[in-house]
Amino acid sequence: MLLRKDLRVLWRSPLLLGALLAYPIVIALLVGLVAGYASAKPRVAFVDEDHLPPVVAVGGHRFHLQTVINDVAKQVTLVRLNPKEAARELADGKVVATITVPPGFLGDLETTTKSPSLVLRTGTGGLTPRVTQQMQALVYQLNQKLQAGYISANLVFVRLILHGGKGSFLGQKFDLLGLDGTQKELAALPPSKRVAVIQHFVQVARAGLAQTGAALRATANPITLVQPKAHGRTWVLSAQVQSYGIALTVTFLALMLAAGAAAAEKDEGTIGRLRRGLVSFGQLVWAKVALAAVVGLVLGAAIAVVFGIVVEAAGVTGGEPWGRLPLLLVGVALAGAVVGSVGTLLGALAREARTASLLAVLVVLPVIFLGLVPRGALGLAYWLSLFLPFTHAVRWFGAALYDTSPWRTLGVETAWLLVLGAVYGLLARVAMRRLAA
Amino acid sequence: MTEPLVCALRVSRRFGEVEALAPTDFELMPAETVALVGPNGAGKSTLLSILAGALEPSEGSVEVRVRVGWVPQRPAHYARLTPRENLELFARLEGVPDAAQAAAALLERFGLPPGPRPSGELSVGNRQRLNVALSLLGEPRVLLLDEPTASLDPGQRRRVWDVVNALHGEGGAVCFATQYVEEVTDHADRVVVLQDGRVVFAGEASSFEAEGVFD
Repeated sequence: MLLRKDLRVLWRSPLLLGALLAYPIVIALLVGLVAGYASAKPRVAFVDEDHLPPVVAVGGHRFHLQTVINDVAKQVTLVRLNPKEAARELADGKVVATITVPPGFLGDLETTTKSPSLVLRTGTGGLTPRVTQQMQALVYQLNQKLQAGYISANLVFVRLILHGGKGSFLGQKFDLLGLDGTQKELAALPPSKRVAVIQHFVQVARAGLAQTGAALRATANPITLVQPKAHGRTWVLSAQVQSYGIALTVTFLALMLAAGAAAAEKDEGTIGRLRRGLVSFGQLVWAKVALAAVVGLVLGAAIAVVFGIVVEAAGVTGGEPWGRLPLLLVGVALAGAVVGSVGTLLGALAREARTASLLAVLVVLPVIFLGLVPRGALGLAYWLSLFLPFTHAVRWFGAALYDTSPWRTLGVETAWLLVLGAVYGLLARVAMRRLAA
Repeated sequence: MTEPLVCALRVSRRFGEVEALAPTDFELMPAETVALVGPNGAGKSTLLSILAGALEPSEGSVEVRVRVGWVPQRPAHYARLTPRENLELFARLEGVPDAAQAAAALLERFGLPPGPRPSGELSVGNRQRLNVALSLLGEPRVLLLDEPTASLDPGQRRRVWDVVNALHGEGGAVCFATQYVEEVTDHADRVVVLQDGRVVFAGEASSFEAEGVFD
């Protein structure tokens, strides 16, 4: 009866209902944008003080340098700037780093007399470690490309030694006999012990040099990372984003609703009437918990359905939006109820609907963000998040959505949620008793 | 010997350090109308809330032998629900067999609007009448009223007292808090005067002298 009353009251508050529905979705989108920004390309200034030509010849190989840089720098947006502009934009934060090609870079590269250097300057923002890593990756990949060029250039000389022919080194041209020619010359000589020794050397040298290319490549790159093209969902449509989105929305909604509904009983003076033997404090807490669970379930289902439609409409492969929907909804109802018990506790402590709403907003954001902090980033946040329902809701939804065998995770997280729900529910009951007094 | 319908023994209530009601004995006999009189903060509402079961006493006990209706000082109903929905909801919670019929009867008896207008949008008088109507659900034998006419015009006051007197006429007992002397003299058989949480006078209404009580 009380649940029906609360649902009716909610239905008659369209502004509140709209805000409660829109607010968490907006927050979810903002969190998504922030998370998306974290994986977006940072802007990096490219300062060419050596005036690199479009095409550079290294070890006899020609490189279109900008194309190579663009090709390997896919994780950042490189912007060509002069040194002053780059310094100013770095100071302003318009670029997160500058990478400078110093004078003499090309000369060092072509002569290979010493290793050429690129200079990386970074700002002090949170993206700095990531940009540094990406620039290190860029230099690593440039080195790989150059290595390939050097190996090819070296192999030209190896081939000359093997097969003979015309070549040049440091501007000096020459005509080489090669091991093939040497073997022919030796064959034309009268057999002797000395000729046989030289012939044996030529054979061994030819066999050895034939493997030089593979050996050079192997020693240059002892381990290579092969990355086949994946055909799964995009990040935006991933099951992880879906589970975070639903958890965030349900947490926000359930906490605010339950807190407001609990405090409203005091505001409207009805708690006095109810406690006169009409309803026990436990039943009153249950009514608010059920309200949070029902509304959370409806909204969670709506999000899941919209998500599924988008996945289907976009023809995205690698996920099954419908098969796990019933399982997901069980978790949504459970999480909504547990968050509802936290909300009821807050509402009863606040004693007044407006204070309860404010308190709920103040509490819900840390509850969510504690759950978003990775374990390795801040241990205390991780441990705190274990005692709040959001983290367990995310894990529940994640397992329900994309674990091949989710039952163990679901069992563990269900146990966590039930224990948390019981604890917060009992506390809410005690607080309700105080509220009635 | 006739037993009291409501009996409170040494009931008291503290709110933190503040003693709202000192240990107090109180009895309400059948067909009796008792007026609780005293200035603001005297403990009238606290005593009535304890008798109604809406507030736990810090000490002492209350024995209630019949169904009790309670009219709190501030209207206590759901502002987003219509008067009919409020009456039906509380009728169901009270265990009234035909909640819809009981609600309809009370709407008519108190002249409350039966339409879809939420209770929170009613006039102050209508809200207070709904407050009184809610207390009559389940046909209580005892009515506890906390300044029921404080915000009503003379016509509305008369209507409330008609209902109260009807209950009294059927053998029910009434205990009401008031700040109106004429309500004491017109309706009460007995008067209990409270001051600073303590009973300072208890006796026949005819022997009650209002002078100095509300200062």
